[in-house]
Amino acid sequence: MSTSLVYLLASAALFGIGLYGLLTAAHVLRKLLALNVMGGAVFLLLVTRESDSKLVTLAARDGAAPDPVAQALVLTGIVVAVATTAFALALMVRLHAVSGSTELDDD
Amino acid sequence: MSLALDVLLALALVVLAILTVAGPGLFRAIVMFIVFGLMMALAWARLGAPDLALAEAAIGAGITGALLLGAFRALVRADPAKRRAAFRRPSRLALPVAVLATVLVAVLALALAELTPGPGTAGALARAALKDVELGNAVTGVLLLFRGYDTLLEIVVLLAAWLGAFALRGDEPPAPRTESAATVPLLDALLAAVVPLAVLVAVYLLRAGGHAAGGAFQAGAVLAAALVLLVLSGRLRPTPAPDLPQRVLLVLGVVVFGLLGLAMLIVAGQMLAMPGLWAVYLVEVAMMVSIATTLALLFAGAGGLRRAP
Repeated sequence: MSTSLVYLLASAALFGIGLYGLLTAAHVLRKLLALNVMGGAVFLLLVTRESDSKLVTLAARDGAAPDPVAQALVLTGIVVAVATTAFALALMVRLHAVSGSTELDDD
Repeated sequence: MSLALDVLLALALVVLAILTVAGPGLFRAIVMFIVFGLMMALAWARLGAPDLALAEAAIGAGITGALLLGAFRALVRADPAKRRAAFRRPSRLALPVAVLATVLVAVLALALAELTPGPGTAGALARAALKDVELGNAVTGVLLLFRGYDTLLEIVVLLAAWLGAFALRGDEPPAPRTESAATVPLLDALLAAVVPLAVLVAVYLLRAGGHAAGGAFQAGAVLAAALVLLVLSGRLRPTPAPDLPQRVLLVLGVVVFGLLGLAMLIVAGQMLAMPGLWAVYLVEVAMMVSIATTLALLFAGAGGLRRAP
């Protein structure tokens, strides 16, 4: 069992946990947390994929770490995730101020 | 030995994720999510991606955590009785769907792991091309030299998030994060030590971004953390709208990057090309300032900030 396999399986588990949380959570804030967990799972998959054993041996020859393009994509993703979270939180606070509720209707 | 560390880290991530989405109490869920972010930072470090580790710790765990706790506080202040109400919505389909999604992602991941990448992947090409440039950090190089559009639009997304939050607030005056400027004697000493240190770390991260782990996003987040501290301690007060200098700071990253890109379109015939190392650092400085301002204003839930009287 290699290092990359551990993180690949962890990212699959995190994706499932996040999806479960997104589907079952009543509170919008908790839905947001679950969404962020799912995002983290995808980032982990992207970077682990690019740093798996075969590539690491390739990269070790270059004296460098995982694929810089994947890392740059994930870095962009992290910043976009914080921007969307911030906007969603503002929406939630506004929703609470207008409707007094922090839950979404089913439809 | 090192594999045991990875297994422990992966298990910690999974347990923290479960506590985040299904643990009792909203506040505890937020705290678990922050710890989850820090564990993710460790995982990035283990995977050999120190840039991501820094970004995750500063942005993913730090600033996101501050935003989540700030929003939670706004909800509790508005409606203290609802603090405990965190019941879940019953769903028979949620568990099967989640399990199937897990299996699907696991199968996809394992299938991907079996693939042998051919020669000339984007990462290998980028690394080879960067050998000619004086940029030791391949991630910074990719962000600014090869994926300039991504990076430019990323700043625009951040700006759009702040504009959206600003528009949503409507006419209500922003609630200060603290009731009054705290007068604890230790607080001044702490701020006097931490704020200059944060500025120093931010500038170091920005400078280091050229040849080692670091970059504008990490530096901007550290700078934003210093501003968040000043907002929390009541040294900076929210105002309904940004004044002119703050407006300039907010759009500086987009304007500098965009104008430079347009200038290069005229001079070199290629949009967003970087004419040299100085341009990379110029754009990074402008982006750092804009990122710090935008994140701090998002946290304060305000249009602008001013010094407390």
